[in-house]
Amino acid sequence: MTDKTDDKSPPQPPPPQTAPPQTAPPQPAPPNLKWMGKTHQWGTRVKPGKHGLRLGDLNVGIYGEVPPVWTDQTRAPRGAVSRRGVPPLGYAIRDKVDLWADSAADMYEEAIQRRWAPAVDVPWSTVKPLPDDVERSICQVCTELSQYANADVESVTYWQSQMAYGYHEIKQFLATVSFDGARHMEVFRKRALCNGGGLGLEGPGEVNRMILESRGGWTEAVLYLFIVRGLFTQTMYRYLHRYAHNDAERTIFAHCLEDKARHLTYAIDHLRYAVNHQDDQNLILQQLCFIGERVLVRELKDVVLREALTIVFGNGISGAEQGGRIFRRMMSDYITRYLATLKWLGVERRTLFPEELSAYLKAS
Amino acid sequence: MAVFPSVQWFDAVRGVFNADESYQGGGGGACNALMGLKIAGQSFLVTFEGAECSAAVKVQDNDLAAADYILEMSYADWKEMIQNIATNGHADLHHTLNTLDLGRPEGLSHSMHGDQYREDLFFRYNQTMQYFFDASARVATEFME
Repeated sequence: MTDKTDDKSPPQPPPPQTAPPQTAPPQPAPPNLKWMGKTHQWGTRVKPGKHGLRLGDLNVGIYGEVPPVWTDQTRAPRGAVSRRGVPPLGYAIRDKVDLWADSAADMYEEAIQRRWAPAVDVPWSTVKPLPDDVERSICQVCTELSQYANADVESVTYWQSQMAYGYHEIKQFLATVSFDGARHMEVFRKRALCNGGGLGLEGPGEVNRMILESRGGWTEAVLYLFIVRGLFTQTMYRYLHRYAHNDAERTIFAHCLEDKARHLTYAIDHLRYAVNHQDDQNLILQQLCFIGERVLVRELKDVVLREALTIVFGNGISGAEQGGRIFRRMMSDYITRYLATLKWLGVERRTLFPEELSAYLKAS
Repeated sequence: MAVFPSVQWFDAVRGVFNADESYQGGGGGACNALMGLKIAGQSFLVTFEGAECSAAVKVQDNDLAAADYILEMSYADWKEMIQNIATNGHADLHHTLNTLDLGRPEGLSHSMHGDQYREDLFFRYNQTMQYFFDASARVATEFME
């Protein structure tokens, strides 16, 4: 083996240059430009309004025509000229009734404008040492909430990829929902790891599994993800905001509450659209509620989250009696809102409502 | 010195709220809602459009039907909330809109239409509404006797 630094041999001449070919260089083809005439509607001039140029403002002329079924199986943007011969992508969700919500474009804008960054928008310096039982409990709650947020991300992204591109407002809004989920995972993990504690015990995950394994369609997933689970999570955020131990937690739960409300708005809007445009959809949702509520009841039998919340609300094990009362009020508020939402959607829940859940209403 | 409640008082709060850009960042921002208020037998509609609170008007009771949601509690509770905000510069945890809503059986927020979509705006813009009332800390307030 030769060490290159000791190589004393004279430099070798460069290899002879190959003579260039004598043929003339290829000439660029004359421009075709036929594509310039390929448009369904030219001369569109959307002007920004008082609040800027928003996604929904672009729905003018053919660009605003949202058909009840999206037959195109490619990624052709709505209003563009389809290219012939593009192999189909096999989108499974192509009926407007299966995903639509009129508010999606506005809420996409809202989600972007009202974004927040846990790294800098949460006053982390206000987190001070807490009693060990309280810290362990808030960490346990954050552990389970980060699992909820992960289920949001996984469920939304699974279904989003199956939605026809023609309903782009929905896909764009759902992109913000999965980003919100990622942000919530981040912020709960940060809270658990910033004050001498750490992550606790994994939650039972029965509702997560139900959401993630729901295969009856996006509408079914919306019911489980945003109504059965989402309203529960939102109610929990409200109480965790109320019983925050510092300004950091107060900020976290205030912002998470708003994010969750946006998801709920989409859910209410979509489910109402589905009920109003599809025969018996309210009966289908009712049947799904029977299943979902029982899975929720099974998950609630796990004592871990209940005990952790009780300690957080009661500010320690010594305040468990008071904390327990607050927990039961939280459950009562959740069920009240859940039933009111379903009633407004036209989904009847007077029959076969689980006793374990209605007991919270009676106790309040 | 503006009397609470009055259009003059809400206009003064709007002035502070609209001028403070910190309310627009970090989770604040675009907000479109018509908030109704019932205070001491008087009714008001406060309009939020985009990044600003654009109007506050005194209305008849039945005009509150147009509101997305209505905030209503006793005058003593309103007064305590405004005084708490003035003392701390913002509402403490016992006096936030969220706490006041959770703390009373009938809630702080309700609507005349039962529309869950519109009622949800109270939660969707909860922090912005809180910022709005927190802005009253910088308004010299006189209370009704």
